Amino acid sequence: MASFGTLLKSGVSLLRCVRQFSTGTCSLVRMHAIPKLKQVDRWTEKRSMFGVYDNIGILGDFKAHPKDLITGPAWLRGFRGNELQRLTRKKRMVGDRMMTEDRHNLEKRISFLYRRFNRYGKHR
Amino acid sequence: MFRATLTVCGGGIAKRLFSSFSGESALPSNLRLPPNLIGVPREKRAFPASTDLPVLRRCEADIPAHLAPVQTWLQSLESRHSEPLGVVDLHPDVFSVPVRLDILHAVEVWQRNFKRISYAKVKSRAEVSGGGRKPWKQKGSGRARHGSIRSPIWRGGGVAHGPRGPTSYYYMLPMKVRVQGLKIALTSKLAQDYLHIVDSLEIPTPDPHYLQDLAKHRQWGDSVLIVDVGEEFPQNILQATESLKTINIIPAIGLNVHSMLKHESLVLTLEAVKFLEKKLLWHDTRFTPLYPFKLPYSDLP
Repeated sequence: MASFGTLLKSGVSLLRCVRQFSTGTCSLVRMHAIPKLKQVDRWTEKRSMFGVYDNIGILGDFKAHPKDLITGPAWLRGFRGNELQRLTRKKRMVGDRMMTEDRHNLEKRISFLYRRFNRYGKHR
Repeated sequence: MFRATLTVCGGGIAKRLFSSFSGESALPSNLRLPPNLIGVPREKRAFPASTDLPVLRRCEADIPAHLAPVQTWLQSLESRHSEPLGVVDLHPDVFSVPVRLDILHAVEVWQRNFKRISYAKVKSRAEVSGGGRKPWKQKGSGRARHGSIRSPIWRGGGVAHGPRGPTSYYYMLPMKVRVQGLKIALTSKLAQDYLHIVDSLEIPTPDPHYLQDLAKHRQWGDSVLIVDVGEEFPQNILQATESLKTINIIPAIGLNVHSMLKHESLVLTLEAVKFLEKKLLWHDTRFTPLYPFKLPYSDLP
């Protein structure tokens, strides 16, 4: 009788195999619902008029060039180059107007890139 | 209304095939349409048969002997139900060129990228404030050796290979490639029945609903791009398109491949067609430039 009771108790405790603690970590991304898709208006003024006047050279008697349409820093309009070329162009065009810290950082970066491109590595 | 006929564009790979039986839809048999498709399939209007209709406009430029001009209807914006006024000729070297999708793709990608300037910039270890002093001595402290607290392996340190400064993605495709892209876009619009020639842009009311109604009734598609030459447009159409998002009007100088691909159908006036033909055909027979074209040439206007 007592042996039956102990067997039953061990059986019942064996059935209750669920841990009361967890051995893993939870995900840092917590989402309680499927996130809503972002609503993008494909026909805003900017999107519908994108690219207009890009052919102003060929359709407009070559008085203007598409690179005149680019808005941006003065040393980057109609120019493409690697970092060293961009920085030296910036120093030439805008360097005397720059603030002291920015100018100092620019010069440090130029000298670092010059040494890296021309002295180390396979391509020098 | 119109009996569909078999028509082939002269001289080009772009061909239009219509079923030769009236009332049958011209969709291919292996087309799978999604079950939730909304909208009526567009009925293709019969292309003008080149037999007895008077041609209202001939091409100014000479057409090569082995090519025939492409023909299309001339419509009017006067009223919703107005019938086409007649037939116009279009130059085959502009409106019926072989459709090179790779050139179209290249021009579209160029338009997206040549203006792009990316302003992403992160500070390198030299630019982050601080980090000039060696944090602890080289030997004896038991910790790893370090030279500055702003090196890239430190939290709060600079980024080693991050984006550096405003970067420009500017490049130019050869002029003839861009010109060919325009011609191919015009050819595709015509071949897919999305090109409409209009005599002038006079509309009876400045009401935007009138234009929307017109576009819907004539099955022009969801978005319409209207192109005309010159700086002045009729006030009515300017007011009508001002408030509409998907119907836009641009001068002919502003025509470009991206806008043509974005808007579903293209509406050109006769003057715009003449202007485009003149500008785009010149590149077929020009000399290579000895100096940029913006400097004066004796024979260029």
